[in-house]
Amino acid sequence: MAANRILVAMSGGVDSSVTAALLVKAGLEVVGVTMKTFCYQDTPAHSRTCCGLDGILDARRVADTLGIPHYVFDVEKEFTRDVIDDFVAEYARGRTPNPCVRCNANTKFGDLLRRGRALGCDGIATGHYVRSFRVDDGRAGLLRGLDRAKDQSYFLWGLPPELLPLLHFPLGALTKPEVREQARQLELVTAEKPESQEICFVPTGDYRDLLRKRLTPRHPALEPGPIRHVDGHLVGEHNGYAGFTVGQRKGLGGGFAEPHYVIRVEPATRTVVVGPQEALNSSRVRVNDLNWFHGPPEPGEELRVQLRHRAPDVPARVDAVDASDLQLTLATPQLAVTPGQSCAVFRGDELVGGGRILAA
Amino acid sequence: MDPIYLDHAASSPLRPEVRAAMREVEERAPGNPSSPHRFGREARARLEEARRRVAGALGVEPGAVVFVGGGTESDNLAILGWSRSVRRSGRRPRLLHSAIEHSAVAAAARQVEAEDGQVEIFPVASDGSVQLDQALDRLGMDAAETGPLEGRNGLVSCLWVSHETGLILPIREVVEWAGARGFQVHVDGVQGVGRLDAAPILASVDLFSLSARKLAGPPRMGILVARAGVDLQPILFGGGQERGLRPGTEDVAGAVGTAVAVEAAVTRRDEEWARLTALRESLELRLREGIPDLVIHGSQGERAPHILNVGIPGVPLDLLPGALDLEGVAVSAGSACQSGTTGPSPVLTALYGGDHARHTAPLRISLGWNTRASEVEEAGSVIIRVVEGVRRAFGAPL
Repeated sequence: MAANRILVAMSGGVDSSVTAALLVKAGLEVVGVTMKTFCYQDTPAHSRTCCGLDGILDARRVADTLGIPHYVFDVEKEFTRDVIDDFVAEYARGRTPNPCVRCNANTKFGDLLRRGRALGCDGIATGHYVRSFRVDDGRAGLLRGLDRAKDQSYFLWGLPPELLPLLHFPLGALTKPEVREQARQLELVTAEKPESQEICFVPTGDYRDLLRKRLTPRHPALEPGPIRHVDGHLVGEHNGYAGFTVGQRKGLGGGFAEPHYVIRVEPATRTVVVGPQEALNSSRVRVNDLNWFHGPPEPGEELRVQLRHRAPDVPARVDAVDASDLQLTLATPQLAVTPGQSCAVFRGDELVGGGRILAA
Repeated sequence: MDPIYLDHAASSPLRPEVRAAMREVEERAPGNPSSPHRFGREARARLEEARRRVAGALGVEPGAVVFVGGGTESDNLAILGWSRSVRRSGRRPRLLHSAIEHSAVAAAARQVEAEDGQVEIFPVASDGSVQLDQALDRLGMDAAETGPLEGRNGLVSCLWVSHETGLILPIREVVEWAGARGFQVHVDGVQGVGRLDAAPILASVDLFSLSARKLAGPPRMGILVARAGVDLQPILFGGGQERGLRPGTEDVAGAVGTAVAVEAAVTRRDEEWARLTALRESLELRLREGIPDLVIHGSQGERAPHILNVGIPGVPLDLLPGALDLEGVAVSAGSACQSGTTGPSPVLTALYGGDHARHTAPLRISLGWNTRASEVEEAGSVIIRVVEGVRRAFGAPL
């Protein structure tokens, strides 16, 4: 087997295209792979999402331009089990999932690594805006991307720690405009491709369609239920609590003197609880489904946590931590800390792990 | 190691004599065969000579040979051309085809259905035997009925040699069955010509499709042999070329290249049969030794010698062709026409059942005119080594 053969996950977007190009330039033997993650038959023919069939064809064209092999792997079964089923189950529990975190932790790196090893690759690269580092004692880890506007470390807290030494993120030190410029110079067909925003398996943008398809017909998450004010009085009715997420304003009806938001979802009674903005504040957070790259933090330790994609990280103190449960106190109260969303934990710029928010 | 090409069932590289003949035509006879001037006459002479040579090699009348744009087009013209002709005469087309047809036939059959024809699929057992009576029952006709169909509105389309497994289907039996019930017969003979004796089959069927590319001829060339008296409607519209069945300026160089390729394949059939059989058997033996739980697809029946389809349990279906490509061995997971779609092969599902097809990664290794013994030997070692590596990667924790 060749030394320094590296597998690049190519979605057909500009970021992973440039990732592959940079590694080719660095003299590595690069193998491009696109994962087919879900069934395309239901989606519009000209789906703009990264994982659509268009993506596979674009990735193939870029690979041809770069003169590297490109293969399509069918991970639909694994992706459905680890990402889509979890996504549906989380909404059914009244929580708001981060499917990209699940995909990174399982599909994108776990399943990819097995396939990479099967292809004789000794490393995996993706187009995430995050930096990897290795130090002499063999420790490897992840740092936020230099382009803070694009930084994607929030989505990577779930990676199996044993993978860290094998990962390469050539875009971590670049900005998005620099990446596009590289793509233009290399005349890659994906240079001007727009950003993908939606969840790849929800190309219509309305995840409730997917829930209706995958939940049992009269599932409580999709049945009408009460909207109550935090003070207890009935405000109205909704048509399924799975359509609501903490902090949401839309879909609550009008009639309030001040703006009202979803404060929490209570699946047991199918209740959506609403209230004024100050009721959204919390300063204590409980986190489950933990993953640590180099072991858990110490009780009393001061860390920084990021509680939402694109939110800044905030100082937090560890009140208690065991194998399955982390309790934090935030230095300043935060709005809309949402069960099901990720809590990514940082020391400075270094991502050290994280978990899923259980309660705030 | 130089890359080893073992995917002749997908595309067989041009024989040098084919390339030379085509170049000569491009240089000497560049005209349009329909033109009245000397260039046109020269082109027409070359085209008709090519038709006679193909007919001679196949043992059919020159008038039966229609040059078309590939094997898929030949299958489409046979099936849709037939069904539209039946429809035109005011009757309902009734089509039977086997469960292991190439997608060119299976998809054309769905089009027949979309145009209000009736289509039934007959099963093929893993030894290649066919069960036509079942499908006939579903067509609503008594299996015991032996009289001719009213007004010949039935067609049986049957693959001769499976493009995935090399399995040979009993065309003679199909022809007898069809004859007794008044059905016409179309045979997709793309993988059979040049490996088996086509003459007896061509003499007994109504429509026969072949592809030049699978015979080391030019791509985008195919032939439909249509027996005189078979009614067909064109599926493309334009000029009156090829008896009005295939409008468009003829590809004279392609037709000549096709003739050279068909002649070469037919002339060398016996020696190639012996040579390729020996190569395949040695590869099969080697793989069995190196991968003891290997399954040989098609081995319960008679097989053409150029295709070896093996199933490897316990590895993902889509991984081996890529892993082998990186080590310099070019093979496929199944029909190249299905690439891009992943998941179990419909052909193997039909032959062996869905569970087998879902859990056994297929590898189609296909040999051709320029395959050397040393390449087959080398490929065997690489396949064994790569399968071990893939199994290690999937058996171990992350």
